[in-house]
Amino acid sequence: MGAKFDIRYVFEYFVKLLPYIQISLFIVASSIVLGLVFGLLAAIPRLYRVPVLQRLSQVYASFFRGTPILIQLFLFYYGLPEVLKLIHIDVTRFPVLVFVILVYGLHSGAYVSEGIRAAVTAVDRGQVEAAYAVGMSGFKAFTRIVFPQALAIAVPILANLVIATLKDTSLAFTLGVMELTGKAQTLPTMSRHFIESYIALAAIYFIVSVVLERLFLLVERRMLKHERETGNADRVPLGKKWLKKRTNAGLALSKGGTRA
Amino acid sequence: MIRLQGIRKAFGKNEVLKGIDLTVDKGEVVAILGPSGSGKTTLLRCINYLEKPSDGEISIDEFAVNCRKPAKKDIHALRRKTAMVFQQYNLFRHKTALENVMEGLVVVKKLPKAEARQKSVELLEKVGLGDKLDAYPSQLSGGQQQRVGIARALALNPEVILFDEPTSALDPELVGEVLAVIRKIAKEGITMIIVTHEMSFAQEVANHIVFMEGGAVVEEGPPKTIFQSPKEERTRQFLARFTSDSAYSI
Ligand SMILES: Nc1ncnc2c1ncn2[C@@H]1O[C@H](COP(=O)(O)OP(=O)(O)OP(=O)(O)O)[C@@H](O)[C@H]1O
Ligand SMILES: [Mg+2]
Repeated sequence: MGAKFDIRYVFEYFVKLLPYIQISLFIVASSIVLGLVFGLLAAIPRLYRVPVLQRLSQVYASFFRGTPILIQLFLFYYGLPEVLKLIHIDVTRFPVLVFVILVYGLHSGAYVSEGIRAAVTAVDRGQVEAAYAVGMSGFKAFTRIVFPQALAIAVPILANLVIATLKDTSLAFTLGVMELTGKAQTLPTMSRHFIESYIALAAIYFIVSVVLERLFLLVERRMLKHERETGNADRVPLGKKWLKKRTNAGLALSKGGTRA
Repeated sequence: MIRLQGIRKAFGKNEVLKGIDLTVDKGEVVAILGPSGSGKTTLLRCINYLEKPSDGEISIDEFAVNCRKPAKKDIHALRRKTAMVFQQYNLFRHKTALENVMEGLVVVKKLPKAEARQKSVELLEKVGLGDKLDAYPSQLSGGQQQRVGIARALALNPEVILFDEPTSALDPELVGEVLAVIRKIAKEGITMIIVTHEMSFAQEVANHIVFMEGGAVVEEGPPKTIFQSPKEERTRQFLARFTSDSAYSI
């Protein structure tokens, strides 16, 4: 096994790992952006009940939510080039990061699509009716009334997803990507102080998660300023009703732990 | 003038409106009464196409919509000529009182922001909320929210305002303030159709009473006739139940 525990290595490795936060965050950011695109594309057919596409979007979401991300990484990294070879497209020389981001993007897209659906359905039907009654078109009602409210409801869902994705990036090392976890495993090869390296690694993930959580909380507070209550007797039921809807939306979405 | 001819509506096999005819003159206040489930809400929602009638014709002055084959632009036009005040207020939750009133003016009527703002402030002052311009619905009482709802409806300058039990979601002590606002705008000659269970209010503000039951109009006429000498037995029974109910609650 490793060498005798020496706390100094924790600090040393902590500092050495810091620059690799960038790569992990880069993977997170690009896959979330990609995920938002995939998620929106997948959510629309389900919101508007487009016959065939709706089914397809369901299959997509359940596949990426129902299989471990590690297997998804392997399938895409080793399998996709083989499939594409059949139609004479050579992707074997693409950087591994491309595959990683694609998989994480598709994976988070599945959660985003569920999130959009849940958030949009959590907006009270009366809001759309009021928009129509005022004379708005369906498009205006969606963009001006439903979407802004759904977005505010979706922020906590997105926050969960970002943090879950950050933790998931720790699996990218299995394909040889030098992100935080990959680096943390190579740092102690000479010194054999593996435990110290993992402690430093855990500390970094923890700190980054906490910072992200705080940032999202700020955003959420800002976006939900209209739901802040100020001691008034009869708006409580409405607020409660809304909160209940919101937690339902959250439940449908919350991502359980690491799914490796 | 608003005219409904042969309005029908079915939910699946359940026919809820069985051919309603109704004419409302300009400046008239019509109160629709009737037992629960008689189709009052459905009728009101058909008038601005929140519910799609299965048959009939809706016309406002020269403009007419054939409910068998309505064009999309006709539905929009109909909605722009009408406004609705909802039982559950349905204020835009992410917008302040002022923004709620301005929204239709800016987005639908395409008024310049400054002008829309000025008009909205005036309307909110009129409903007694000049000091709540920047409050969100979650920060307002039900009565205040409903008054914003009325200001939002007034802002659109509609041919008719549709009220669906505007006070029935309110605590009793807040009913008065909302009725006072409706009474005030009724005096200004704005055409209104009000579904209500407030009998004395209906008697006081309406020029015309419509009594519905089972998806049909049973009887209609001036308040005096309907309340004091209704022709139909069913109307009499309904009103008797109401007056005895209120006698008990006192
Ligand atoms: N969306 C719907 N789907 C199916 N049935 C409906 C729907 N909306 C209303 N109904 C039915 O239509 C009938 C009339 O309902 P409506 O709400 O118009 O009655 P109402 O006169 O407004 O009653 P209340 O005084 O209780 O408000 C009821 O039997 C109701 O169950
Ligand atoms: Mg009703």
